[in-house]
Amino acid sequence: MLAWQNGGEVTKLNPTDDDGRRNEAALDPKALDSLGRALKAHYDDLVHAPLPDKFLELLARLEAREQRGRKSGSGDAAG
Amino acid sequence: MPPANFKDELIAEIKNLRAFAISLSGSVSLADDLVQETLLRAWSKSDKFQPGTSLRAWLFTILRNIYYSNYRKRAREVQDSDGAYARRLIVSGDQESHLDLEDFRKALAKLPAEQREVLTLVGATGLSYEEAAVICDVEIGTIKSRLSRARSKLVELLGLEESPASAAAVGRMRRAG
Repeated sequence: MLAWQNGGEVTKLNPTDDDGRRNEAALDPKALDSLGRALKAHYDDLVHAPLPDKFLELLARLEAREQRGRKSGSGDAAG
Repeated sequence: MPPANFKDELIAEIKNLRAFAISLSGSVSLADDLVQETLLRAWSKSDKFQPGTSLRAWLFTILRNIYYSNYRKRAREVQDSDGAYARRLIVSGDQESHLDLEDFRKALAKLPAEQREVLTLVGATGLSYEEAAVICDVEIGTIKSRLSRARSKLVELLGLEESPASAAAVGRMRRAG
């Protein structure tokens, strides 16, 4: 029995690239398919989670500061 | 000075940026700090962004650099080891289809950050191997092998593997029947 097949026990995967590829080649396409779907569902949940206001507030502050900077900049140039 | 529509383009990317930050750090509060810092840096370095290239990939690169230089240690201290952040964050959703998702999140939280980020970038955000390689500053081969190891580990953690013995037994039964 190969190390990665011993019935759910946590086993060490060889951390070389070759082994990574060999292991994936041995993975069940159905297992990969459920992984892919779970990953997308997980990520979609995160993407669609409500956003706090602070990000928009930050960008609004940055923009306002920039506009003030432009005004005072032209004022200085005139003065 | 940022171009006229830069703010709107940033706003359009915030949800994805935050989702990536949560996936990477395993913590909503850290992720929010990361997103704030990323937006600040993106704003001040907007002249470095090349129009016509992917703003998402550019922002992910910034966020990732901030994470690995300033946040990684903090993340180890505060990370929800079981992916519990998702329960606090997600307000709605079909409970039925989320049963397995809970297990999935626990397994995902056990992966090293390098594998989790590649899995997220390629498997969830729709970025290409090439873009993921640029974001992570590694070769495409490294992206592929990290992805492969991440999948193998998840299959193992979630008990999705099909042992050759049982597959062969099923095959024999099918042939017999």
